[in-house]
Amino acid sequence: MLFLMFRLGQDRYLLDAGQVEVVLPLLTVKTLPAAPAGVVGAINYRGAPVPLIDLSLLALGRSAAPLLSTRIILVRYPVDAGEHALLGLIAERAIETVERDPADFVATGVDAGMPPYLGPVASDGRGLIQRIRAEALLSPAIREILFQQPATHS
Amino acid sequence: MSVTAGMQATEQGPGINECWRQIGVSGDRSCPELREHLHCRNCPTHAEIARSLLDRPVPAGYSEEWALHFARAADRPEAEGEARSVVLFRLGEEWLGLPTTTCHEIAEPRRIHSLPHRRTGAVLGIVNVRGELLICMSLSELLGINTGGQSSGGGKIAVFRRLIVIGRDERRVAFEVDEVHGMHSYAERDLIAVPATIGKSASTVIRAMLSWQGRTVGFLDEAPLLAMIDRSIA
Repeated sequence: MLFLMFRLGQDRYLLDAGQVEVVLPLLTVKTLPAAPAGVVGAINYRGAPVPLIDLSLLALGRSAAPLLSTRIILVRYPVDAGEHALLGLIAERAIETVERDPADFVATGVDAGMPPYLGPVASDGRGLIQRIRAEALLSPAIREILFQQPATHS
Repeated sequence: MSVTAGMQATEQGPGINECWRQIGVSGDRSCPELREHLHCRNCPTHAEIARSLLDRPVPAGYSEEWALHFARAADRPEAEGEARSVVLFRLGEEWLGLPTTTCHEIAEPRRIHSLPHRRTGAVLGIVNVRGELLICMSLSELLGINTGGQSSGGGKIAVFRRLIVIGRDERRVAFEVDEVHGMHSYAERDLIAVPATIGKSASTVIRAMLSWQGRTVGFLDEAPLLAMIDRSIA
């Protein structure tokens, strides 16, 4: 299984490459004033607005560094049964893909109180890498604001 | 290599470990990793250093330019529906395309075992593709394309004949082509209607024309082509 690797701070995280629509360079962002925490704005992708989340802001409380290696990952975010909407994630060092067996990943053992988007971990020569569940990145409240779907509680 | 090194020297300062210049292929070749990777460009350490090049600040105008590019990409064909993919190949002077999903395999040509009492027509014989015996067709015979004159494909250095295996699960057939270009992405609106003046059998299996590198490629329709092959085998 192919994963896209990126960093939050010093740690490495993985996104399932099957969920990724495209990886874009850092575009100029139309800011959305008074947007919920983590949502930095929207980008124009082929004429359609795509909401953008800064993963560093969401997880670490600081904006992603404006470097060439910081990129926008567009993921297909499930909004309804069988339907997807694009969601942009600003991620640092999104420059590598890795091939891993899904069976390599084990639960961290620290599940209580962790953000729901943090998944199981796998180890390699340089330490642990953790999977990110893209579908759990948004809290139900933000999800409703961004994708205007009928109130459903997952 | 020197370009890379130069960029690092200016952007990263002296902090970079230019190991390939000291113990690697540009140095004294004493690096123990060289035995495994043969050349620095194969070495993960070198790749990691190269990736650190991307940790430079975004240059002025970079975000704006890309934002403009991806905003304008709306009128690119991919915006409407998915980009489709076609395998382009050449028969004689004629370039043709088949939907990629129809093509199972592209193999090297192999010996064709002729069938008794089937010396004429479009069926050339039987080929062995990885243990599976497939009927080998002459697509040029079937479509009425003249392959007499050997032409070089677009001035390339070497052109290789290939065997293309197409069909649906149970009914697979193979045919030889003079050259396979590879896959090509197109959008539905890149297709041009077949001129009404085209006669012969080709027009019934050619769904549309596709413009590619200044050439016009006949885009074969999967179902009529397979039906036509079936009829010619029977």
